[in-house]
Amino acid sequence: MTTPQEMRDLVQRLLTYEANAAKTSEPVESRVFRIYEKLRQSLGEFAGTAAFQSLASRALAMARSEMPSLRAAQISADGRLKGLGQGLGLGQSEFGPQIYSEEDRYGEQRTGDEGTVVITRLLGLLFTFLGEPVTLRLLRNAWPGAAIDDRISENGRKA
Amino acid sequence: MSNQDKVKINKLPTGVPGLDEIVGGGLPEFSFNIIAGAPGSGKTTLAHQFVFANATSERPALYFTVLGESAIKMLRYQQQYAFFDPTKLPDSIRFINLSQVVLEKDLGAVLEEITKEVEKANPAVVVVDSFRTMVRKPQSDMDLQSFIQRLALFLASWQATTFLIGEYAEDELRDNPIFTVADGLFWLRQTAERNSIVRKLQVIKLRGQDSVPGLHTFRITDAGVQAFSRTFGLTSRKRNPPSNRRLCFGIPELDKMLDGGVREGDSVLVAGSSGTGKSVLATQFISEGIRHGEPGIVAVFEERPEAYAERATSLGLDLETPQKDGQLTILYLRPLDLSVDETMQSILDAVEKIGAKRLVIDSLAGFEMALSPGFRADFRESLYRMIFALTGIGVTILSTVEVDESFTEFPFSTYSISFLTDDIIRLRYVSIDGQLRKIMVVIKMRGGNHAKDIREYEITSKGVVILGERLTNYQALISGIPVRSDRSDPKPEPS
Repeated sequence: MTTPQEMRDLVQRLLTYEANAAKTSEPVESRVFRIYEKLRQSLGEFAGTAAFQSLASRALAMARSEMPSLRAAQISADGRLKGLGQGLGLGQSEFGPQIYSEEDRYGEQRTGDEGTVVITRLLGLLFTFLGEPVTLRLLRNAWPGAAIDDRISENGRKA
Repeated sequence: MSNQDKVKINKLPTGVPGLDEIVGGGLPEFSFNIIAGAPGSGKTTLAHQFVFANATSERPALYFTVLGESAIKMLRYQQQYAFFDPTKLPDSIRFINLSQVVLEKDLGAVLEEITKEVEKANPAVVVVDSFRTMVRKPQSDMDLQSFIQRLALFLASWQATTFLIGEYAEDELRDNPIFTVADGLFWLRQTAERNSIVRKLQVIKLRGQDSVPGLHTFRITDAGVQAFSRTFGLTSRKRNPPSNRRLCFGIPELDKMLDGGVREGDSVLVAGSSGTGKSVLATQFISEGIRHGEPGIVAVFEERPEAYAERATSLGLDLETPQKDGQLTILYLRPLDLSVDETMQSILDAVEKIGAKRLVIDSLAGFEMALSPGFRADFRESLYRMIFALTGIGVTILSTVEVDESFTEFPFSTYSISFLTDDIIRLRYVSIDGQLRKIMVVIKMRGGNHAKDIREYEITSKGVVILGERLTNYQALISGIPVRSDRSDPKPEPS
């Protein structure tokens, strides 16, 4: 069984991959956005928008217990994650790359954290429903270049 | 047109044990097939088995899901089956959900979407599950028929073998224009018969090759769908020519009565009431075969293999060692919803595995009880198919059957199956001198002479032992209540 820490590690690996793939430095929020969108696209194609939307809604509900600031976030009918950062009083209305002033840097990090928690929960649900091998194969398909091990729950896993 | 001028249609493995035999060696490549049946009948599992058996990364399978079961749920459950290979996902097997297109657009858009994906992936296999949910939207039959025709044409041109999966009730099968387009039409059904569920499969249509007609039972286990052909997969095998070789029981007097033993490839029936020693005789038959290097199978229904072997030990017969040496298999077939075909498959697998020459079915009554009630009605017909198939490959079958002891009749079997047997040995009780004693007589031996003697026997620690000479000092022995005649030979000691 994959532990929450292992799940967070997996998301971290995806974030690292996205950071390396980006040409320029960018806020973590943008990477989180890309990861979520890739998941939405690939899982939407695989399972359908409605199935993804249900799964994402459940992931968001679970994530709220961990991060109450997600109370304003929502999953739209097409599965997009909206309203990140609103619970932090940042005035952000939709999850996506935005330009912040220097003083908003903290909020930007927090928005990224919120997204990370949602993605972690989403992957956790996929592990629950599909099991580790099938989920990792779907992730490899969405991130062909990323190093995603077959057994992330084994000791000595690689990044 | 000579055979070499004809286009060769490749046959693809179905991935379903037993189904290749039913469809005539495999599914025609590039065929357009419909799998129809009620919910829960195994359609999706069957399609998955085909997909996993045939998809490669070079020629993948595209599995389009429409409305109904989502791919996540589908994979959650399908991966429980042994055939599921996660390494095939997603390079060799891709799941694509079309529900949004179906909900928001028309069949033209669905076709366009499928076309786009097929052109992109160049798949060897395409599945649309469930295509019936697409057509429940209100539209004219012509739209649907046109859609199916265009889809079939397109997918065949793209060299894809296709399955459309649909929930259909039995009465929808007739005169449905959709089915005329299909090259193959597979019908899966499950029915409740008393307390048992019986699954059956029918190949209603399969263009280009011979399939085995009729309803074939199938079962869904951890391994997936397993089909049991009505011909037991033996259609392609040549029947062995009749043999004159005799197989003995190792009971000298009985073997003499049988003119040296039963003929190889015969079906022998040992009939008698409870306690007359039918199983003992059967055990001696199988044990003697093993002694002569003829591997054997014992199919038991009424007791466990350990108990069967233990009882043999009490008769001085060792069934443990030959089991360890691969010379003997004792099959315990007890589930109460078996079909004859499943039982046969188990027996055939065991026969093939150890190269069995002798088979004991102990007993037919137990066999019948192990069957689903629905199959019991066809027991005689099924038995005929089974015996014909097995003796055809040279296996000698000894079946035991319990008959009600009557003092006015002399029945051979309660199943009216004596016509299915080549040889009949009848055991029965008789009342003599205030004792309940046992007599044995060979009723019938097809293709051979046999003794007409009625012999008394006992069951001892050495098994069945025939006593003395034929009983000449009694009349009406087979009535069970003989009358002493004038002649009175002394009773010999057991030989």
